[in-house]
Amino acid sequence: MSHRFAFYPGCVAKGFCPELYESFVRVAAEFDIEVEELRDVGCSGAGLIPTEIADPINARTLAKAEAMGLPLLTICSTCQGVIGGSALRLTDPAYRARINREHLAEEGLEYQGTTDVKHFMWALVEDVGLDVVRSRITRPLDGLGFSPFYGCYLRRPIDVIQRPERKLYLEQVTEALGGTNVDISGKGKCCGFPSLTANEENAFAMTAKHLGEAVDKGANAMVVPCPLCHLEMDGEQSAVEKATGRRFDLPILHLPQVVGLAIGLDPKELGLSRHMVSTKKFVAQLQPVGALAGTAS
Amino acid sequence: MEITFKFQRGGTRANPEYVDYQIDVPPEMTVFDALIAVRETQDGTLAFRGNCSVGFCGDCTLSVNGAQKVTCLINVGKTQKEGVITVQPIRYAPVEKDVMHNMRKFLWDKVDTFARGVVPNGGHPVTDEELRPVRKAMRCTTCGLCDEGCTVIDVNLDFYGPAALTKLYRFAFDPRDGITAERLREGSEIHGIWDCVHCWEATEHCPFGLEPTHLIMDTRDRAIAHGIKSGYGNKMLERHYDAFEESISRKGWLDERSVALQTYGGLIKGGLHTLPLGIRALRKGKATLKPHYKRPGADRIRKIFDRYNRANAGLRKEKQR
Repeated sequence: MSHRFAFYPGCVAKGFCPELYESFVRVAAEFDIEVEELRDVGCSGAGLIPTEIADPINARTLAKAEAMGLPLLTICSTCQGVIGGSALRLTDPAYRARINREHLAEEGLEYQGTTDVKHFMWALVEDVGLDVVRSRITRPLDGLGFSPFYGCYLRRPIDVIQRPERKLYLEQVTEALGGTNVDISGKGKCCGFPSLTANEENAFAMTAKHLGEAVDKGANAMVVPCPLCHLEMDGEQSAVEKATGRRFDLPILHLPQVVGLAIGLDPKELGLSRHMVSTKKFVAQLQPVGALAGTAS
Repeated sequence: MEITFKFQRGGTRANPEYVDYQIDVPPEMTVFDALIAVRETQDGTLAFRGNCSVGFCGDCTLSVNGAQKVTCLINVGKTQKEGVITVQPIRYAPVEKDVMHNMRKFLWDKVDTFARGVVPNGGHPVTDEELRPVRKAMRCTTCGLCDEGCTVIDVNLDFYGPAALTKLYRFAFDPRDGITAERLREGSEIHGIWDCVHCWEATEHCPFGLEPTHLIMDTRDRAIAHGIKSGYGNKMLERHYDAFEESISRKGWLDERSVALQTYGGLIKGGLHTLPLGIRALRKGKATLKPHYKRPGADRIRKIFDRYNRANAGLRKEKQR
């Protein structure tokens, strides 16, 4: 059964995290997730642009998906949370009518308030199903420890994420793939990225805390469903090491990459060689494709 | 019901020293009242804070079975686990004795920073509708649970935190107030609204549903409307917002390269700062030199920004005066 979505990749997956975009497209095809990419849409505002601007931009995006009769699929926690927040506010008919009148009517658009906004992780668990995911495993991730790191917007606020069980999907996916869940206390906290320009010291302290805990507990990698978390944990990892004097050397993997590895896709094809923190050691620990579950030493 | 209170009376949070107290209380009794009963019947030296006992003063916040709670709002029956209730201080406030916190530096001083009363702007009538958001913030009891859950306070106790910034909101959105811009500038000082990482923990932690993270975000929006993006001369922060806005309003989406360059000081200064990481990223294939095209609907997006900027032009002029 195919699962169709209007696809909103977000700016970062098409900018500094091209490997996220490419690995998602590759993995989505394997699970019959059919996506139609929206191009005539704007940046969600990323929590920085005022709501008064972000809501009309996102109403426009939601209206375009609605016109296609499809739910909106995101691959970024921040896009998910910000557009999801707009969608929630736009369930208010009076507010929606004002946004439609002031911003959308001119180009003949009208948002009716029906678009469901879904992160890839939610679609994988709820639409595809973990049983199907399990059935596709050809390279079980047995013996490898993964620390889940959600990004704030996939954990809160509850009225935007809608279902409390979604707070645990990330480790459910890695465990379904054969990996060991290496839980860290800050998995639902901020990675530090939003504070990079305001207060770098705070940002680095947050990042160091999460990376340090994952390493101390024996994680082989950290999994993120948000490219902004990736920019922080992977892109800034060497700067955080310099600032804190502690070496982490922890590979940070995008969620579609981890899924892709387990279903036997080539690490290079999934963009693992494009990270700032080397994934070589991690890739060397992978089992060959076709290995049986539980055969890891 | 028979309850054992494991009450921390020494040690540290990681290595607590507990004293056990058994007491028979009705399950519907609040945890706070039960602690008073223990003090009245077993040991008068037990030290903990608390006052109104009806969820109004916000004074009786404690860590109960590992979760931070306003203890007069939870009952014994639902709180106990196998007949045990463990009571510890909250994580970040210094402890005077047992579980009695010193909230002065952790909370009260910070809240006071933004508590300067309304400076009337003329005395015109104010509708209840206009006051509604402010009344919501007024319901804050400064129980401190939002600060307890705060991601930033977790790494930096100097951050004003959501409770104090809720107080800022209360005055910055008061339609009767005449010094809104001044308040927003004060709130934009270091450790203020711009240090919030909008992780929504505060909203989740507030036991009264006041949504402090939402209030901080609304305050940031209002500051931007006034043209205030940093109150302490953090030019990087101002440039970051301006570059962000410029990129989205011109191209419809974010061109990270130009945003990074502008944030770190423009082509030359920003170029030098980002060069080492940029070269490594290019070599890895993490970044590309492919230009960010203008999105088909970019002009529509620009109109949304233009409308917003026109609507707020008056506020920005006020800032420059």
